[in-house]
Amino acid sequence: MIEEEGISTISMGNEPERMARIKPPRALQVKFGRGSMFGEPGNVSRQRRILLDAFDALQTITEPGEIRKLPYQWKRPDRPDMTDYQ
Amino acid sequence: MPIDLEQFKTAYEKWVEESMSDFQAGKMVEILKKYPSIIPGDIPWMPYTGKPSEQTFALITSAGLYLKDSQPAFDTLSIHGDPSIREIPKDVQQEEIGIVHGHYDHSLVEQDINIIFPIHRLMELENDGIIGKTADTHYSCSYVNNVAPLATEAVPKMISGIKAEEVDVVLLVPV
Repeated sequence: MIEEEGISTISMGNEPERMARIKPPRALQVKFGRGSMFGEPGNVSRQRRILLDAFDALQTITEPGEIRKLPYQWKRPDRPDMTDYQ
Repeated sequence: MPIDLEQFKTAYEKWVEESMSDFQAGKMVEILKKYPSIIPGDIPWMPYTGKPSEQTFALITSAGLYLKDSQPAFDTLSIHGDPSIREIPKDVQQEEIGIVHGHYDHSLVEQDINIIFPIHRLMELENDGIIGKTADTHYSCSYVNNVAPLATEAVPKMISGIKAEEVDVVLLVPV
């Protein structure tokens, strides 16, 4: 609904199946668990890096529906599962 | 292409009827398997133009964030979820944020809201001149199954606010 109003969006995601259903216009896919799309708490440089990646994707994705995968790994023992619905 | 809410409402009413006992038993994965997701036929697309360094950015998350001292919490007891949205100001501090969402582990966000709502990183990028401006107002919803009132009431109000602030780009962060 936001793009239909003339505003570009970029979406975060971590589950390919869910992203395929939602069909975001442009998206970044991360390897982090549910509730932590920008990585570990307190990892300022990682959070900043992912935002910069989002701005890059915004400027370089030209086809609707492209999902760009980011390589970053969770670096603590407390990574949540991808789908830990409670 | 506008989403077909009438078709959703019919399928949703049937889903609520069939899922209530599983919902009451806490079988979330089971009921989500049967949920009548709205799958867009066409991908909505607004070509991006301009430069981030000259533009205004806003965040929308579904993490269930609200301002503890001034806003009501979200409803987490109903099978419908909560179709309302909270406005979060850009100068929000970690300790002002409450989190109400029945279906993910909040403990990491309680340590650092920026892992799902990177507002402080956006402010830093604004200070560094990488983006033009962080919008004054950002938005959070929570867990919601009945998306009809979200689509007809809360989202249009939110879009009005976004347009009033002349936001150029929205970053969407689900949980």
